[in-house]
Amino acid sequence: MLSTGRQNKKTVKLNDGMESRYGYILIAPLLLLIVVFIFFPAFYSFAISLFYYNPFGHQIHFAGISNYAEVLHSSLFAISVLNVMYYTAVVVTLQTILAFSLAMLFNYRFRITRMSRALVFVPAITSPVALSIIFIWVFSRQGMVNYFLSMFGVQPINFFFSTTFAFPAIMAMNIFSTAPYFMVMYLAGLQAIPPHILEAASLDGIRSGWKRFRYIYAPMLSFTTFLVVVLGVIGSMQLFDQVFVITGGGPANSTYVPLIYIYNRAFLYFGTLGVSSAASFILFAVIMAVTLLQRRYLKELRWA
Amino acid sequence: METFNVTKEKKKKNRIKRVATEQNSAILSIGRVKKVAIQLMMILAVVIYVLPFYWMMLKMFRTSIFAHFPPNLNPLSGTSLSNFVQNLGSVWSFGSFPRWYFNSIFVTLIVLFSSVFVGSIAGYAFARLNFRGREMIFYTVLGTLMIPFPVVSVASYVFMLNIGWLSTYQGIIIPEIASALNVFLFRQYFLTIPKEVEEAAKLDGLNPFQIFTKISAPMAKPAFAASFIYTFIGSWNNFLWPLMVIHSKSLYTLPLVLNFFKGVNGIQIYWNEMMTVVFLTLLPTLIIYAIFERYFVEGISFTGLKG
Repeated sequence: MLSTGRQNKKTVKLNDGMESRYGYILIAPLLLLIVVFIFFPAFYSFAISLFYYNPFGHQIHFAGISNYAEVLHSSLFAISVLNVMYYTAVVVTLQTILAFSLAMLFNYRFRITRMSRALVFVPAITSPVALSIIFIWVFSRQGMVNYFLSMFGVQPINFFFSTTFAFPAIMAMNIFSTAPYFMVMYLAGLQAIPPHILEAASLDGIRSGWKRFRYIYAPMLSFTTFLVVVLGVIGSMQLFDQVFVITGGGPANSTYVPLIYIYNRAFLYFGTLGVSSAASFILFAVIMAVTLLQRRYLKELRWA
Repeated sequence: METFNVTKEKKKKNRIKRVATEQNSAILSIGRVKKVAIQLMMILAVVIYVLPFYWMMLKMFRTSIFAHFPPNLNPLSGTSLSNFVQNLGSVWSFGSFPRWYFNSIFVTLIVLFSSVFVGSIAGYAFARLNFRGREMIFYTVLGTLMIPFPVVSVASYVFMLNIGWLSTYQGIIIPEIASALNVFLFRQYFLTIPKEVEEAAKLDGLNPFQIFTKISAPMAKPAFAASFIYTFIGSWNNFLWPLMVIHSKSLYTLPLVLNFFKGVNGIQIYWNEMMTVVFLTLLPTLIIYAIFERYFVEGISFTGLKG
C-alpha cells in the first residue's frame, strides 16, 4: 500500500509484504534485548551520572555535573587512567609483536604445526579468573618465574606484592595469554597473501627475512595489524578480571585501573553510584574517541 | 583395514605436500638445519605455553597444599590417583560445589541457545529479507559493539536492582543474550550462500522462517559452530556481570567460585585443591575445544578479518 511504485518495479517479487513482515519478526527478539539491555542502560547510566543516587536508602537528588567534577578531581581516578594508558601502550605493542612472531613461526607447515598451534591457543580460551589463579603461582616466590630467575642467581621476587613488579607481571600474563588469539588473525592474514607474490619477490631479489618483512608482510598485513591494535586497545582499556582477582588494585594502587575505580565506587561505597556512572561515561567517551580515531586512520590506510 | 590405513596415510601425506607447495613456497627454499631449528622453536613455544597448565595438572595429583620451591615438575614424584580422588572429594564437598557447577552449566546453556537462536534469525533477516530500514537497523545493532559491556554494567546493575532481578537466574542470563557479534557472524555467512538455493523453496510456497529452518540454517553449520563456541567461552568465563548481579552464594557460577575459593583460607591458598577447582572449571572448555578446534580458528578469521 505504501509503496505502489516499488511494487511496479519489482513485479517479480510476489511476496514482498510477507518478506518484510518476517524480516521484522525475525529481528524483533534481538532489537527488544538490545534496546532494553544495552541502549537503555547506556542512557540510564548517563542519567544516574547526573544524580546523587542511593537506591537502598531511596535517596535521590539532582547533582548536575558535580559527579563528573568529583571524578575528574579524584587523584585515584587519575592514577587509574595513567595506569591503564601505561598498560595499554606496553601490552598492545608487545602482544602485537608476539602475535605476529608466533604467526610467522606457525605458518611453517610441519607435522607438528597443527598440534602445537592448538596447544598454544589454550590460554586464549581459558577463563581469565582461572588463568589469574594459575599465574598467582607462576609469579609467586615458589613459582616458575622465580625458579627460572634463580638459575641466574637472582633472589626470589614476590611479584604481586611489589609496587614495582605487580603491574608488569599482570602485563606479562595478559600478553602471554592474548597473543595466541591475535596470532590466529595474523595466520589468516598470512594465508591470504597469494604465493605468487612471494615467488615474484624472490625473483626480484627479496629473499632475506628482513626484506620480506619490510616489503611484503608489513604492507600486506597492515589491515590485520590495525585490527589487532584496535581490538587490543579496546580490550586493554577494559582490564578488570585479572586485576580484581590478583591484586584488587594494590599494592599501593600500583595496579589500580578505571574499571576497579568504577566497581569500587558502585559496590564498596554507599551512595556513590552517580560518581561510578560518571566515571564509566568518561571511560566510554575515551574508548569511543580512540575507536573512532583508529577507524578513521584505518579507512585511510585501507584505501591508500 | 591395513590397506585402508595405508591409503589414508598416503592421502594425508599428499595433502600436506600439496598444501606446502601451494600455500607456502617459503618452506621449499629453506635448508635442513633451518627446518630443524624452526621445529625446535615451535616445541619451545609449546613448552612455555603448556608449563603452567602442566604444573596445575601435577598439583591435582599431589597432597601438599603448598607450592614448593623449586617447582617439582617430575610427573612421577608425589603423584597418585588416590590423591586426585581425595582432592576431588574435598573440593566437591566444599560449600555447595555441585550446585555451583550446575549453575554454570545451566546459565551457559540457556545463554548459548538463546543467543545463537536470536542471533541466527536476525542475521538471516539482515542478510536475506528486504524490509524498510534494514541497513540502518543493522548498523545500529553493529554499533552496540562499540559500547563495551563493563561501561554500561553499573547502570544494568541498578536496573536489575529496580526490577528485582538481583541474585536471580534471569538477572544473570537475560542481559547476556543479545550479541551483536553473533548477528554479524551469521549475516556475513548467510551472504555467502547463493541466493538461488532459496528461490526454489520460495516458489514452493515456504515462508521465510521455513526457508531459514529447512534450507539456510542447515547450510550454515560452520557459522553455528563458531558462534556456539564463542558464546560458550564468553558466558562460561564471564566474571564481572555475575560478580555484580549475584549476591547470594547459592547462585555462584564457577569464576566466582574460583575467586571465592582463592581467599577462603586467608592468605594461604590450598594449591592442590585450588588447582582441582581450576581444572574442573577448565574441563568443559577443553572438551569443547578438543572437538571444535577447527571452528575456533575459522571463527576468528571470519569475524575478525571482515570486521
